[in-house]
Amino acid sequence: MQLAAARRLESWAASWARRRQGADSHAVVLKRRRIYILPTGFGVAFAVMIFAMLLGSLNYGASLGFMLTFLLAGLGLVLMHHCHGNLLGAELKLIGAHPVFAGQRAEFRIGLCNATTAPRYEIELRHEKHSAGPVDVAPGAEASLRIAVPTERRGWVALDRFAVVTRHPGGLFRAWTWVHMDARCLVYPQPAPPGRPLPESAGAGFGGRPDRGDSDFAGLRAAAPGDPPQRIAWKAFARSDVLLLKQFAGGDREPCDLDWDALPGLEPEARLAQLTRWCLDAAGEARTFALKIPGVTLPLGGGPQHLAACLEALALCETGER
Amino acid sequence: MKLSAPATPTSSAEVTRLHWTAAIVVAATLPHWSTLPIWAPVLLAVAIGWRLAVATLEWPMPIRTLRLLLTLLAAGVVAFTYHTINGVEAGSALLVVMIALKFLESRGYRDQLVLIMISYFLLFATLLTASGPFTAIYLLALIWLTTIGLLQLSRRGPLLGLRPTAELAGRLLLQSLPLMIALFVLFPRLPGPLWAVPGTSTSATSGLGDTVSPGDITSLALSDDIAFRAQFLSHPPPARELYWRGPTMTNFDGRTWSMPIGDRRGERVASTIEYLGEPTEYRVMLETSGRNWAFALDMPKPPEQRGLRMGSDYQLRTFPGIPTGTRLDYRVVSYTSYRALEPLSIDEQERFKRLPPESSPRTRELVRSWLADDPSPEQLIERGMSWLRSQPFFYTLTPPALRAQPVDEFLFSTREGFCEHYASAFTVMMRAAGLPARIVTGYQGGELNGLGGYYIVRQSDAHAWTEVWLAARGWVRVDPVSAVAPDRVALGSWRSALAGQRVPGSALGRIEWVRRALLAWDAAATFWNEWIIGYGPDLQRALLDMLGFDGAPRAERWSKLLLLCVGATLAGSLLVSLQLAWRRRRRAAVDEAAQAFARFAKRLSKLRVLPRAPSEGPVAYGGRAEAGVPQAAGEIRAIVAAYLRARYERDSDSSALAELRARVASFRPARV
Repeated sequence: MQLAAARRLESWAASWARRRQGADSHAVVLKRRRIYILPTGFGVAFAVMIFAMLLGSLNYGASLGFMLTFLLAGLGLVLMHHCHGNLLGAELKLIGAHPVFAGQRAEFRIGLCNATTAPRYEIELRHEKHSAGPVDVAPGAEASLRIAVPTERRGWVALDRFAVVTRHPGGLFRAWTWVHMDARCLVYPQPAPPGRPLPESAGAGFGGRPDRGDSDFAGLRAAAPGDPPQRIAWKAFARSDVLLLKQFAGGDREPCDLDWDALPGLEPEARLAQLTRWCLDAAGEARTFALKIPGVTLPLGGGPQHLAACLEALALCETGER
Repeated sequence: MKLSAPATPTSSAEVTRLHWTAAIVVAATLPHWSTLPIWAPVLLAVAIGWRLAVATLEWPMPIRTLRLLLTLLAAGVVAFTYHTINGVEAGSALLVVMIALKFLESRGYRDQLVLIMISYFLLFATLLTASGPFTAIYLLALIWLTTIGLLQLSRRGPLLGLRPTAELAGRLLLQSLPLMIALFVLFPRLPGPLWAVPGTSTSATSGLGDTVSPGDITSLALSDDIAFRAQFLSHPPPARELYWRGPTMTNFDGRTWSMPIGDRRGERVASTIEYLGEPTEYRVMLETSGRNWAFALDMPKPPEQRGLRMGSDYQLRTFPGIPTGTRLDYRVVSYTSYRALEPLSIDEQERFKRLPPESSPRTRELVRSWLADDPSPEQLIERGMSWLRSQPFFYTLTPPALRAQPVDEFLFSTREGFCEHYASAFTVMMRAAGLPARIVTGYQGGELNGLGGYYIVRQSDAHAWTEVWLAARGWVRVDPVSAVAPDRVALGSWRSALAGQRVPGSALGRIEWVRRALLAWDAAATFWNEWIIGYGPDLQRALLDMLGFDGAPRAERWSKLLLLCVGATLAGSLLVSLQLAWRRRRRAAVDEAAQAFARFAKRLSKLRVLPRAPSEGPVAYGGRAEAGVPQAAGEIRAIVAAYLRARYERDSDSSALAELRARVASFRPARV
């Protein structure tokens, strides 16, 4: 209950900040005007402790007690400035987000760059309940953080707002800023469970046959649930931590046509899910395929770029977006 | 993706945090160990050990009920030990208990920060009663350590190394120093306590006792501790007149002299003194003694200072309301020649003549023979002094113990003793002769500190002498020690030690340069006591007067002071942010090749080539740029190659850098 109220308050404050600051570009330098700072619960407790110390010192007339009291009061003030300075001048840029399937998390990668002579410590990115980090950024260094946004539906998912937060040093204060980058991530439809075989149509294609010269390795694409494991590019995985699927263009297999109208009796979303599955299967088997859905027809093709184009068309089918 | 909780509950990072917390907690309790009952450190050690065992050996965490029980038990023990939970000592003990039990149940970030706060508060509790410069330095080191702990434990990521954190903590504390000084000087000080302060239970440390009992083993005069310092504002009297009056002893049971109880004749008695000669004005900076005694040169005028009064025995005392732990600083005027014409009634005279009936038969016999010769009081005093002079008496601080008749044994057989023996014996002689007499205890002499221009009076300067009441002259001071060991009075205890007598003080103190160094140190300590420990409402007011707030009413002074505090805070803020801005300058690109490449990238970004990702190498970026701007592919490839040569290969004549710069400068691909 209380949490909900706090969240509402934050969202109200953030939208006020949005009106005040305007939208941000994909590269932002944090300026003084947009960094906000408030004491944390611990900071308030620390202040109460200093007040208690002050009363004690006054009562005992203890000079050294006064000294510690005022030293800690000064420390609080200094910590506030350090906390604010920890964000001030930091540079943020949107690196991007790889498309994901609905139900997966869209990961927006944000670069955090420290082009100053002092290190920055403990910087976090927060988006709703999720946070990324904290990271330390050495002078002249750059760190990259991922904000994960859950997805439910296909289409675009936007990272309308996130906060850059730090409590360093001491945890007495929380300095933050809201960033409103126009960042979005494409969400493909969730593929239907595997099982339904590919339609064995005489693949005439919807737009003519492409030349079938390149029958070999055609590149890599992001692996998706249900991909055949023997096609995973393990070497590439070792290098980059990203599961990729080896793809082969051309091939000996017959091309196939993936047609919206070939799936009567299914709900539109279910049809899209099935078409997505087929696209993945066809690409997995290194077959060329063509796609036809309402509004879009993609000619016969193969390879990762063709697959991406097909999935994008499926993701945006009849959403009015592009 | 869902991960089940790991089987081992504590990660190694968490264990490191626990170690840090334990170190801070131990450091913060360290200054209290000397005053705490023994079970408190033991409880802390057990709590720390158990918690670490929970973390590393997977011991079970003590259950909630047990922890609650332990808390109540420990609080009960504290209350039982100190009979209160109020006051510095009991409060500190309670804090130590709390810190131990909190540590036992601590589970991460929040609890650890709470422990840091309690640690700060424990250090603060030490400072309520401590006042020495060494203690201050020691505490400052501990505060530094605690601040390092604060910086470490407030991290959510992995902890940093000790060195950078220690540096940061040091820098933070240094930056808060100016504000501390400003607030210390400017924050309005109150003249009295806000609520009643319970006294500390530590026993008196004074070299003077409540009783004088020659013959018993005594620790009197064995300590080099400082009793007080005195700074003369007029010409100081000669050393032989430096008799600093303390409590007087009237009641004698044959062995022990003690103070009269409930004597309330103060004001009347003080008004009967006739002061003669030149006044001597001086300032006394009293060390804390745990008693309400204050000292003044024989004979002081009733002091005008608030909180001080003069008793019927001419002793200065502080009012009961002033906590005995405070360091008193007062001004007094004394006259070294005076006539203390206290009118004693017959009853009162009897009180000062009283001797236990069976005591000191040989002494009484001796005195009776003097009385037969000449009963005039002055003559009796002279007779007693010359008898002491004529017999082989020795002044020593290690006299033999005395048994049933201490005065007789001392006067007729052992004949070795220090001031108390002589004062006691002489007073008994005078009472036996029918003269009202009493013992005055106090200090005699003092050491001049040439650097600070004041006298240091130590516990080893403690002294006792006799006062005899004569109808015509009132109370007359007679110091029998001057008859036996004139040096003790003329030179003071320290110099009489040089003369070969057995006198206290460390052997080191007799070496000249060590003595000089000690004096210099004492001057520094006095400065510390006067300006730092002694900084209170009076000094603050004097300072304000200097700043031109003369005679403003208190409310106005305070509002001005608070305003100054706000101003100081703002100024301190500005100072800190300036320092921070200087430390965090924009960093010039380290490498000229990198700068040139950055210019190239900027140009490319105008051609809708997305900026280089952190993980993207220059070649990959170049490839992307070629795809994005195919019309300039060749030029892009050349620039990337030049950059690689200039940045990563040996480029002794900077030719690659020059080429890179030239190519970047002329890189102007046409937009398509």
